[in-house]
Amino acid sequence: MAVTTLTYGQRLDALRAAKLEQTREKQEVLGAMDHDDWAVVLPPPELREVIDAISGSGEPITDCIYKGWHPQSNHPSGGFFGPRAVGDNYRDFLEHHPVYIDPNSSLAGAYMFNFMSYRKPYWNPDFDYSHLQPDQEKYQLIHGIGGSQHFCQDLQIGLDLGWQGLLEKIRRYRKLNYPHGHDFYHGIGSVVHGVQDWIRRHADAARAMAERETDPVLRRNLEEIAAMNAHLVTEPPRTFRDACQWILWYQMVARMFNGSGSLGQLDVLLAPYYERDTAAGLLTDEEAIFHIACLLLRDTAYIQLGGPDADGRDVTNHLSYLVLEAGHRLGIPANIGVSVGEGIDPGLLQRGVEIIVGDRHGYPKFLGSDHVVAGTVRNGVPLEAARQRTYSGCHWSAIPGREYGLMDIVKINFGAVFDVALRDMLAGERAPHTLDALWERFVHHLARAVAVVAEGLDVHMAHMHDVFPELVLDLCCHGPIEKGLDASHGGVEFYLLGVDGAALATVADSFAAIEQRVVREGRLTWEDLLRHLDADWAGPDGERARLMMSSVPRFGHGNTPADDYAWRISEAFSALVTAKPTPAGFRMVPGLFSWALTIAMGARLGATPNGRRAGEPISQGANPHPGFRKDGAPTALAVAVAAVQPGYGNTAPLQIDLEPSIASDEAARSQIASLIRTHFDLGGTQINMNVLDTQKLLEAYEDPSKYPDLVVRVTGFSAYFSSLSPEFRKMVVDRVLAAESA
Amino acid sequence: MIRGTVFDIQRFSVHDGPGIRSTVFLKGCSLRCFWCHNPEGIRPQPEIQFEPDKCIGCGECVLVCPQGAQLLDGDQRVFVRDRCDACGQCVETCYAGALSLVGRAMAVEDVLAEVMQDRPFYDSSGGGVTLSGGEPVLQTEFARALLARLQAGDVHTAIETAGYYPWERLETLLPHIDLVMMDLKQMDSARHRAATGAPNERILQTARRLAQTAIPVIFRVPVIPTVNDTPGAIRAIAAFVGELSALRGAALPLELLPFHRLAESKYTSLGREYAARSLPASVEHFAELQTVVQEYGF
Repeated sequence: MAVTTLTYGQRLDALRAAKLEQTREKQEVLGAMDHDDWAVVLPPPELREVIDAISGSGEPITDCIYKGWHPQSNHPSGGFFGPRAVGDNYRDFLEHHPVYIDPNSSLAGAYMFNFMSYRKPYWNPDFDYSHLQPDQEKYQLIHGIGGSQHFCQDLQIGLDLGWQGLLEKIRRYRKLNYPHGHDFYHGIGSVVHGVQDWIRRHADAARAMAERETDPVLRRNLEEIAAMNAHLVTEPPRTFRDACQWILWYQMVARMFNGSGSLGQLDVLLAPYYERDTAAGLLTDEEAIFHIACLLLRDTAYIQLGGPDADGRDVTNHLSYLVLEAGHRLGIPANIGVSVGEGIDPGLLQRGVEIIVGDRHGYPKFLGSDHVVAGTVRNGVPLEAARQRTYSGCHWSAIPGREYGLMDIVKINFGAVFDVALRDMLAGERAPHTLDALWERFVHHLARAVAVVAEGLDVHMAHMHDVFPELVLDLCCHGPIEKGLDASHGGVEFYLLGVDGAALATVADSFAAIEQRVVREGRLTWEDLLRHLDADWAGPDGERARLMMSSVPRFGHGNTPADDYAWRISEAFSALVTAKPTPAGFRMVPGLFSWALTIAMGARLGATPNGRRAGEPISQGANPHPGFRKDGAPTALAVAVAAVQPGYGNTAPLQIDLEPSIASDEAARSQIASLIRTHFDLGGTQINMNVLDTQKLLEAYEDPSKYPDLVVRVTGFSAYFSSLSPEFRKMVVDRVLAAESA
Repeated sequence: MIRGTVFDIQRFSVHDGPGIRSTVFLKGCSLRCFWCHNPEGIRPQPEIQFEPDKCIGCGECVLVCPQGAQLLDGDQRVFVRDRCDACGQCVETCYAGALSLVGRAMAVEDVLAEVMQDRPFYDSSGGGVTLSGGEPVLQTEFARALLARLQAGDVHTAIETAGYYPWERLETLLPHIDLVMMDLKQMDSARHRAATGAPNERILQTARRLAQTAIPVIFRVPVIPTVNDTPGAIRAIAAFVGELSALRGAALPLELLPFHRLAESKYTSLGREYAARSLPASVEHFAELQTVVQEYGF
């Protein structure tokens, strides 16, 4: 009798199919998801309650919470604040969280809820910052007060200690520091107890499932899962598979707690286990790839492959390739970055390009190590630490376990600042209406916006530990447990607070349009311009005026006034952000990135002189507006974005969409590889790339259900195209079509 | 100062030679191939291109046209191309981008300012700059000055040519060219004339002369239905390139390029008839023709 046994390939196919089905169900229940896919799995229908919430990155989302579970409030506002309340509630939440085991997966667990969605109110109203609100409103600032995670833990700490070891460490330092940090230690300890309970229930469930399972391969798998997790409740991982499972528990607990997706250097973390197991004959590459795929399946964490270690030596290893391969075989949204730079194994770039051209899933992304490291040093960070800064979020990096950054949260919309500046200048009766005066007002208001952000950051840094401390990331950082201080409160070594600019091209093009049409050619008066902006280009002469302003050569074309303005704006912004720390002494670091907020920030902004209508999206990150050149040349784009880098180690990613039919696959691979290398040589810091089949994209735009598995890189994150809202789908399609019109 | 008439500069060109390139399109051609992919490159003089779907009907062009070439007839906007002398005043006022001027007088410096922006990409990809057209060799002095400057800057240079001109013109450029890509269309001179307006003897002569130099050459055949999409026509060209290889004493490459109809809207915008409209958009047996070429060892 022929015995058929399930292969890893078949199991992966089954897991992928289950994932697609779960995604379809999420689309039905939650509607559009304009964010990272996260891999959250819906709870059973009887436990679902759909609500409006705020995500870990501070954007409004529709979310599904645990029906019937409520956190205990410790405040008249109805909220729960501070380490004790947060830790106890999270423990209770974990103790209620359902068990999820897919017998095809080698790892147990899936997460179903965002704890953050219970954070209502989001901020403790006792810590008042209403004095900042008028200016925050005036400049439409995304101020980041109350924002969480967006830095990177050092998983090595947890892998070495295991959950019980972490608990003992907490007890040891609690005793040592008593009575300091009493609530903090209580809260962080509660989290560990909650995690242990969740893991233990999975071990029990796997054992029960194994008894019922008829397929011999799956039964054995379930037995292994049961044994592995019974061990991991307390002990550190021993094997490669154990380590994957441990990291998955930690990552899911961090993700649920406050949206953290920072995983860091997976190839380095897993290397010792891989070496030990393969040497002992316990692990093949196929098995390793499968375990990694099972890990990636359950969270779309941000991972860096390759890159320098503290001494500047490249860490690329065989496992870097296996992780890359696992993401490739999965074919679902994934946020894995390949390091590119001096001394880094070029094979990794080559393999990454092969995959992105072959798969057309916007996977992987590419990280410019050299300028991230060099820029980080400019903040006074020692070189050894700067080298270890690891890609761990949409567009950002952090030194694992040693840096708190609040990255990718604070956004200054240059468009809103420009609007204030233009109106300010035109309102002054005596002031001359000149370009110089406008520039002076723009820099003046930009400075004010940065100052308001700085004051807001101080509010955050002073109170966040008492609002919603980082009880999960703290577990694997160097300092918080030792010092009894949350990472947001002095627990770690480096504080580099990210402050991003947005709408660079919108404003550069606006300056250039005014220079040409109003100042040089005199085709429009300043007053006419203001009238058109107020009327959103309505009226008999409105559309013509709009076209007149939008037909001026734009940033990205190369050698135009708009290119100069973009550079000047970036320079001025960087200078203002780095000129001085916040009043409380925290260093701020400039970046250029608008993330998923490109649409939301545009929606709030009135018409702009570049011919943009009120409410339309602002330009994306450091990118030019789509249509910046007739030939849409990727090289022009790469030159333009390299030229406006803020230069302090936080990135201004290049978002680039390519059509693979440009040439044969082989020629495309070689051209794309040299495009990537050259952008980084020119100063670039990160590349988010799609290599897309335009026809397929257009068909999916007409009918998203036609290609449920089409994955696109929206910006720093990747997502199923069918999960995006119509506005986001349009943004991606517009970008691709503009690049195509060549 | 020498000026050339340039109708486009395309950065990140990927069909015009090795690596990442910029292609400079020079206006004017001595052939009249009825399927021409770049009809805006045929005439040497600047001309106005009009894309009706972009027109918002504001009528500003009518007000500024000194020739009365832009007219309003009721609601209908009419462009009387015969009256137009391509002064470009209407283009200046057409913010909608419906009117554009094809062909700008550019100095060598102007072209360099544009193409040298991508210098780092040429270096990292083994690319460079390609002159195309039109027939770039016809603007001999300008092409020579531009190629010489590129060569002096260590930029790889290539040219795409159809070979229909006195040999001396190309000969003066060759010292500054790293790669020639030359079209061959039909070995039968009468059929060649019917398709392109010119017999092929001079073109074949150019090819022979080229074969006797040491410059890298790639011969390319645009496979056009009704012109050369038969195994016989392709075989004849392959045999000819085989002779050329013998002349050089080394194999010269031959590539087939598939036909497409992407140029159709350009014909409309230039007010010209697109004679290739009725041709099928792809050559069904392109693969078969490829094997014909392969039989000859290419």
